[in-house]
Amino acid sequence: MSLAPNYGPDQGTWRCGRCQLPLEQIKVPVFYLNSAFDVFLPRCPQCGLSLVPKSLAEGKMREVEALLEDK
Amino acid sequence: MLDQDSLRAFESRCTQESPPRCRAACPFDLDCRTFLARMAEGKQDEARKLLDRHLPLPHVLVRLCDHPCENTCLRRDLGGSVALHGLELACLLNTDSQERLLPLPPKRYRMAIVGAGLAGLAAAWDLARKAYPVVLFHEGSIEDTLLIRFPQLRQCPSGKDFLAQDIGTLTRRKARFQRVDIDNGLLERLAAEFDSVLLDADAAAVLVPEESRVDASTLLWKDNICCAGWPGHTPTGHPLALPSRQAGQGRYAAQTMERLVAHISLTAERTKVQGPLRTEVSGITPVQRVEPGVITQDGEELFNSQEAVAEAGRCLQCECLICVRQCAYMQKFKGYPRLYARQAHNNAAIVKGLHTANSLVNGCALCGQCAELCPENFSMAELCLAAREDMVARGVMPPSAHEFALEDMENASGPECFLALPDPDMPDRPAWLFFPGCQLAASRGEQVKTLYDWLRATLNAKGLGVALMLSCCGMPARWAGRQRLFQEHMKRLHDSWKEMGRPRILTACASCLTALREGLPEAETFSVWEIMDGLDITSLLAESQANTATFASMPPVFSMHDPCNARYDAAWLASVRNLARKADAVVEDPPLSGATTACCGYGGLVWCAQSDTADAMAAHRAAQLPHPILASCIMCRDRLAASGKECWHLLDVLLPGMAQHSGNEPGPGLSARRANRASLRRRLLARTGAIVPEIAPPPCNLRIPQQLLTKLEKRHILLTDAESAVAGAEATSQWFENMDNGHRLGSWRPRNVTFWVEYSKEDGGYTLYDAWCHRMIVPGSGGQEAHEVIAAQQCCTDGGRRKQP
Repeated sequence: MSLAPNYGPDQGTWRCGRCQLPLEQIKVPVFYLNSAFDVFLPRCPQCGLSLVPKSLAEGKMREVEALLEDK
Repeated sequence: MLDQDSLRAFESRCTQESPPRCRAACPFDLDCRTFLARMAEGKQDEARKLLDRHLPLPHVLVRLCDHPCENTCLRRDLGGSVALHGLELACLLNTDSQERLLPLPPKRYRMAIVGAGLAGLAAAWDLARKAYPVVLFHEGSIEDTLLIRFPQLRQCPSGKDFLAQDIGTLTRRKARFQRVDIDNGLLERLAAEFDSVLLDADAAAVLVPEESRVDASTLLWKDNICCAGWPGHTPTGHPLALPSRQAGQGRYAAQTMERLVAHISLTAERTKVQGPLRTEVSGITPVQRVEPGVITQDGEELFNSQEAVAEAGRCLQCECLICVRQCAYMQKFKGYPRLYARQAHNNAAIVKGLHTANSLVNGCALCGQCAELCPENFSMAELCLAAREDMVARGVMPPSAHEFALEDMENASGPECFLALPDPDMPDRPAWLFFPGCQLAASRGEQVKTLYDWLRATLNAKGLGVALMLSCCGMPARWAGRQRLFQEHMKRLHDSWKEMGRPRILTACASCLTALREGLPEAETFSVWEIMDGLDITSLLAESQANTATFASMPPVFSMHDPCNARYDAAWLASVRNLARKADAVVEDPPLSGATTACCGYGGLVWCAQSDTADAMAAHRAAQLPHPILASCIMCRDRLAASGKECWHLLDVLLPGMAQHSGNEPGPGLSARRANRASLRRRLLARTGAIVPEIAPPPCNLRIPQQLLTKLEKRHILLTDAESAVAGAEATSQWFENMDNGHRLGSWRPRNVTFWVEYSKEDGGYTLYDAWCHRMIVPGSGGQEAHEVIAAQQCCTDGGRRKQP
């Protein structure tokens, strides 16, 4: 079992516009300023298109960006 | 990075940590301000702890002290000095000692004290407290020695024997007393037998030289012998009992004895080089001294608990904070400049760990108000700008702090907005160059055009050509600490200026004026107001005041707000007032104006790095101004108006027919500013007959409600960003579909930011519902394929860099 944080879509059921497949929570590495983290994001299982929900972008992600910038 | 000497130089200019006048006057360094604060709170036990900590022989000294603190109290002319002496006495009578006598291992150096005067006893107290084995040699009884000199000790309030209490404590601290005959033989013996000897100049006067023969900076007489406690004299030569001075010398000599036995410098770091604490007392209401219900026969005031609280409450709790009171930024960080200098210095020294003072460094508007208000001219601007330049040079400036503002600068100076236009009628003789500034062009394009036309008409009549340049002045780079970028920008401006025949420059923006004077010193740069003030503006006013509807809606009285960059520009300050008067506007100067004016929050790129701090600055400034505001800088105007205060620009008064908005309306948003700059350039260029290329159509037809755009711009998402994101998502087919409502969600990463847009597709166009952005790189978003992004990264998910093959 992975300890990486898991972020689903804020609302609604989403599918990949290109592959027409429902999204799955898949581990994605995210990068910033020479650091990288694994997070589970809604992702197209076929083409890898990844969704970053607003609550994540303006919440935890912004917090971590600020921390890394001040590191 | 500041070196230690520069840091100390900075620190020494802020006096907030300097002791208040009462403490500075106390030979025992009693923290009078905190003592009075505790007394005012009714916490006498807490106040007693301070007496126990700071005073030697607390009972004797409180009874005898000539309280020099009261002579220096700032309340003196505001109802009378706070009765520190009476309050100390009240505290002693109402409380028991709060000090626990802890047994300490005795130190190896033995100390001898000769004479049981106040100096000898005070020195014995301090040394015994630090566990030095102390022997006090005295003639006659200790009680007699003191009672002869200070007969008031016989009558202590409440019938307590203060002297016995203190001698008892001294005995419990293992000080030993020995009755002897005091003579030279004794001194020789003690000097040889003990590590250091103190002679009380009052009680052992036969052995002690005149005070002038002893080094006042150490009180060391010779070898290991110190002297202290000479009685004072009146100017007419009569002996004068100054108990605080005598006991204070005893303490000072005891410190010398400690240094002597430890073989360390007798003088280093003994006197603090620190200016006196400045305290502003103007506007403080006088409050009369509390008269206690009981006064003893010998005139001692005895405050009861209630009276003590009331009297201690009169203390002004002196502190400086002259700058902090006027600055929303400094208030936000809950400190004062001295502390900030230390934090900025430590921030730069951190190798591993969080640079917690980055936000302090990037939150300053660099406006210079603190330097003007501070009696010692402490400049947070100097400190923060140096720190920013250092962070940029070392590559540790947070990328998000100023990136957006620097992009805006690039846009305002780029091909879409830059314009260098010779005078159409006098292309070869441009005596002047009008440089309105990119924000005036962004906010008031039509006014810029009208003013330029009027300047040309007026100056052409005198045979002087007026060219025009639309560009950013480069100030954002300077504020961001990016010196190289600033210089590169100035080099480009210099080349354009040279090509135009080196005209004198006229600018309508105080920041441009500062930047051009610094970065383009070869050019003579003036404010447009100064030049207009020297010209006849009747024609300008007559034409524009014809629009009486707007003119009539102007407020009857304005509060003048000066831009912070013009605080020392006497010509700017005088000419804007003259011009307003000529336009029949009534202006009042607020208390903080001219050299002491405050920043609107635009300065120093705070609006970009910390918009909440910038908004607090605008609100703080707006609250200081009683009437609708008249500003001579467009960013001041737009920011103060956005804070909810009615605010007009000088051009609205000079050109009321041109005022398209009321003073209550905020200026254009960030997207509109960019579009307005480009539009002004095109309109001006088109007038010359030049062929202006068609504007490239937006990448998609996107509808955004104005309210949503305003919200997005607060997050630095522009209209063009949203349009590009929708177009990018559609072009690459990289979008998600919401099965519930059919909305699409796409992302686009044109630079260091990924923009997300939630939209719907209809009628050949798109409607935006929301947008957000982040700086992190997420593979499989932003228009790039996941595997390509992952392959391009130089780091792994364990946080470390990927090893080079």
